[in-house]
Amino acid sequence: MAIQKRKAKTGVEITKKAKELCNKMLKDLEASQRPVLEAVRCSLDNANYDSKLGYLTPGEKLVRSELNVSSVQKLARTVFLLEILLRNVESGAVNTKRELYYIAKGLVKGSGESLKPIDFEEQTESDSIIDFITDMLRAYREEMNCFANDRGGQTYSKQLEVTETLPDGSKAVIDLGQLGTTPFQPKNKPQSLSLRAKKRIDFCLVVESEGTANTLVSNGFTQRNNCILMGAQGVPSNGVRGWCKLIQDQLKIPIYFFGDLDAYTMQNIFRTLKAGSAASLVRNSDFSAPEVRFLGVLPEDIKKYDLYYYEVKDKDASELRALKKAKDVLNNDPFFKDKKNKKLSQILHFLIKNKIRCEQQALFSVDPKDPIMPEKIILQKIKEGSYI
Amino acid sequence: MSKITSSSTAEYFAKNLQQVGFSSPTKAVLTTLKEAVDNSLDACEENQIAPEITVIIEKIGKGGGRNTDLIRIYVEDNGPGLKPEIVPKVFGEYLASSKFGRGQCSRGQQGIGISAATTWAQLTNAAGVTVKSKTSAMRKAVEMKIDVDIKGNKGLVKAKDTIDWKDKKHGTATEFKIDGRLQLNGDGGLLTYLEGTALVNPHLTLNYKVHENDWVNIERVSDKIPSVPPPTLPHPHTMKLGEFMTHALLYGNLTLKKFLRTAFSRVSDASIQGFTKSGLKKSLLPLTMNKIKQQDFKAIFHAIQETDLMNPSTASVLTVGEEGLANSINRLGEVDFFSVVTRKPKICDFKPVVVEVAIARFLNRGREDDSIQLLRFANRVPLQFDKSSCAITRAVESVNWKSYGLSQSKNSLPQGSFVFAISVTSPFIKFKNASKETIDSSDELIEEIRRALMQAGQKLSRHIKREARAADLERKKAYIEKFGPILVEGLVGIIGASDARKKKAIKGLDVILGKDADSAEAALNKAQERLDKLKAKEGTATGSNENKSEADGEDTKVVEVKKASAKKTAKKKSKKKTSKKKK
Repeated sequence: MAIQKRKAKTGVEITKKAKELCNKMLKDLEASQRPVLEAVRCSLDNANYDSKLGYLTPGEKLVRSELNVSSVQKLARTVFLLEILLRNVESGAVNTKRELYYIAKGLVKGSGESLKPIDFEEQTESDSIIDFITDMLRAYREEMNCFANDRGGQTYSKQLEVTETLPDGSKAVIDLGQLGTTPFQPKNKPQSLSLRAKKRIDFCLVVESEGTANTLVSNGFTQRNNCILMGAQGVPSNGVRGWCKLIQDQLKIPIYFFGDLDAYTMQNIFRTLKAGSAASLVRNSDFSAPEVRFLGVLPEDIKKYDLYYYEVKDKDASELRALKKAKDVLNNDPFFKDKKNKKLSQILHFLIKNKIRCEQQALFSVDPKDPIMPEKIILQKIKEGSYI
Repeated sequence: MSKITSSSTAEYFAKNLQQVGFSSPTKAVLTTLKEAVDNSLDACEENQIAPEITVIIEKIGKGGGRNTDLIRIYVEDNGPGLKPEIVPKVFGEYLASSKFGRGQCSRGQQGIGISAATTWAQLTNAAGVTVKSKTSAMRKAVEMKIDVDIKGNKGLVKAKDTIDWKDKKHGTATEFKIDGRLQLNGDGGLLTYLEGTALVNPHLTLNYKVHENDWVNIERVSDKIPSVPPPTLPHPHTMKLGEFMTHALLYGNLTLKKFLRTAFSRVSDASIQGFTKSGLKKSLLPLTMNKIKQQDFKAIFHAIQETDLMNPSTASVLTVGEEGLANSINRLGEVDFFSVVTRKPKICDFKPVVVEVAIARFLNRGREDDSIQLLRFANRVPLQFDKSSCAITRAVESVNWKSYGLSQSKNSLPQGSFVFAISVTSPFIKFKNASKETIDSSDELIEEIRRALMQAGQKLSRHIKREARAADLERKKAYIEKFGPILVEGLVGIIGASDARKKKAIKGLDVILGKDADSAEAALNKAQERLDKLKAKEGTATGSNENKSEADGEDTKVVEVKKASAKKTAKKKSKKKTSKKKK
C-alpha cells in the first residue's frame, strides 16, 4: 500500500468528520444496531517504517469500541468530550488536557445530576478519551485546539528569523539574533510558523541537555558559527519535534543531534526526534525530522577522544531497564530493524554487549582547561563526517 | 578448673521459662490458660466425658513486676478429677506425664507446661497453683495449694483442705494468680485462643468471662467425644536406621520374618517378598534378631525403604472431622459461606499427618482490605505466636489466591474478610520450640497443606465467581440507566437531531443494552447452577460424601454447607450468646 503524506486538517474538516460519525452512531441506535467507533491502534505492533518517508506510520490495526454495557460509559464520555472539543474548534478557543479535565468537571457539576455518571475522577481518564478521539478522527490534538504544555526546544541563532501567524491573522516577526543569550521557544503549532535565514545558516545542532546547549551558547558557539543551536530537554516534546521538522523542511540545512551514548537516548530520544513515536503514529509525519543525524556520542568517540565513561551497574535499575528494552527494540521496532538504520542498531548492540554509558558532558573532560573544547570536537566531527 | 554441678529439670526450666511460652507478661497469661485448658480437654477425652469448661480471667491488682497486673486465671472442668496424691506430681513436677513419647495425638505431650505455669506463678507472685479436685469416688472435694520444689523437681503441698464442691460429681479447677498483662484480640489474644479452641473442639461447651467483657457461653455442637486413638505399631518408613535397630533389639528371640510381620504396621507377607526383591537376603529371614549382624541391619533397612508400602495406619491420627468443623464454624459468628476439606493421612517427614482446612467468610468479621484471619492448629491446639515461620503460614502464602478470586500481594497472606482455619494433626508434630508455637517447615508438609488449601480454594472460587457475576449484572443494569441517555443526548446535541430521532434512538439503545443485561443474567444463572451442582454433589453439613478431589485427583472428603442449612444447623445445635451469668 502506498503511503500518502498526510495533509493538515482544517477545523471545518474535523467538524464535518465528527458530525458524520455521530450521525452514523445515532442512525445505528435508531435501528437497534450496535454503533462502532474505530480508532487507529497506536502501538509499536501497529507501526510501519518506510525509510523513504523516514518516520513511523500506522498499520491497519484498529481499536474498535462497539456499544455494549461495558463500553457505554466510554462512548458516552467520548461523545461528551467531543462536543467540548468541537466547540473549541468552532470558536478558536484553546485548552490543555488539564484544562479540558476541569471544563468537563465544571459541566458535570452544572448539569445537576444528569451528567454525574460520566464525571472523571482522575485526569488520566479524560486524557485517554481525548487520545481516543484524536486517533478516531486521525487528527492532531493541536488541530483540535488542545495543546500540551510547551517544553524543550530552547533555540539560539544569530541568523534565524521566525514569523508567526496569530489566530487573528496578524503576524509577529521574531529575530533570534536580537535576543542575546535568551532563547526562543517555539509553540507547539508548527504550521503557524515560517522561517527565514537572514544570512546563510550552515547547520542546526540539537543538544540533548538544555543546560549543555546553554553552556555552548554562553561560551560563544552561536557567535562563532552560522548555526541554529537547540536544547531538546530529554524526550522531545511535540513542540520540539514539529520545530525540528520545520527547520528541516523550510531551511533545508543539515541537523545534527548530540546526546548521551546510552540505550535510553538512542531508542527514546533520538528515535522519537527522527521518526516519531508509536504513541503518536497519526502525527509523526509532521512531528519528526527524518533528516536529523546522530552526531554522537558515538562508540568510536570514546577511544578517539579518550572520553570518560562508566559501566552500567546492577543497581542502576533505570539503565538496566533501558538495556533490556533495547533488546526488545532490536527485535520489534521497525525503525531499528530497517536496513537504512543498521548503524544505529549497531550502537544498541554495542551498548547491550558492553553495558557502558558515556554522557554528552564527557566532552568537558577532554581538556578541562579549555572551555571551548566541546565546541571544537563537535565542529571537527561535523567536518569529518563523523555521524550517522 | 571450674566446678561442674548438676541441676534439676525444674531448675533448668525455672531459669528458662521463656523457652516454654513465658517470655513476656502477655504470653504468660495465654500460656497458663492454654496449659490448663489443654489438660482439661485431654483428661475429658481420655475418659470419654463431654467437656464443659469454665474460664475466668480477671485483673485482681497490681503485679509485682514493672508494668504488670496481677491476673487471676481460673479454669474449671467436668473431667474425671485427679486423685489427691497425684495432684502435686501433675502441677509441681517437670516431665511427669502420662503421654510422653507414646505416639498419640494428645494436646499435651511432655509434662512441662502446667508445671511451668506453677513456677511462673511462684516466681512472680510467691504462690504456686490452687487446685480443686474431685473424682467420682470421692465424697468431698480436695483443695490443695501446690508449689514447685525447684531444687528437687517435685511438687510441694503447701496447704490441703477438704471442701464441699456444690453439686459437682467430678472435675478439676485450677487457679493461678500471676504477674501478666491482658491481650484480648489479635494473633496472641486470649479471645482468639478461646474461639479457636471452640472451633476445633465441636464437642466442647465453653463458658468464659475475660476481663470486663460479659460472660460468653458457647454450647457444644457435637455429642461425639473424640477418642484419642491408641498408638499403632510403628511403620517402617517412619523410622531412621538407629531407631530400627533399637526396635529390633526388643524382639531378640523372634526370627527376622516374624519380627517384620509383628513388630510393624503395614508389613504383610507380600511386603516381605517385596523386600527380598529390593535386596533383602532370603537367608536372613529365618535368623533370630540377636543373630543378625550390624552390617546386615543396614542392608535390611535399605531394602525396606526401597519397597513401596501402604501408608501408615490412619488409626493413630485423630481429626476434627468435616461435620464437626462445619457445625463448629457457625459458633464464631454469622457465616456467609465456607468450605471444609479434610485430607487423607499422608506421610510427611516420616510421620503420619492429617491436614484439615476450613475457610469461612463471616458477615460481621474482618475487613475486605485486611489480611485474612489465619487460625493455626496443631493437634487441636491454637498456635498463636511466631506466625511467619510456621509451615502453615508459609503454605498459605505459597498458594496463588488470586486465581481463586481473592486479592493477594506476592508471597503474602491473601486479603478479605475470611477466616482460614488450618489444622495439622499428627502423633509426632515437629515443633520449632518447646513452647509449641510454630510447626517446623518442611517441603513435604508445606506441599500437603498447600494441596488442602487449593482444594478449599476451588470451592471458594465458585462462590466468589457467582458473586462476581451477580455484581456484574447489577453493574450492567445500572450502566444502562446511567450512561444511555447521556450518550444519546450528546449525539443529538452534536448533530442537532430532532426529538423524534432522539426518542427512537433511546428505544434502540434500550433494546441493545437489554440484550447485554439478559446475557449477564444468563451468566449469573449458569454460575449459580454450577455452584448448586457442586453442593449437591458434595453433600451437606450433616451428610458428608467422599468425592474425588479436583486439585490433584486424590480421595478427599469435602463438605460444603449452604448458607441456609448452615444457619439452620447453627440455630439448632449451637447458640453463641452473650449473657450475664452469675457464678
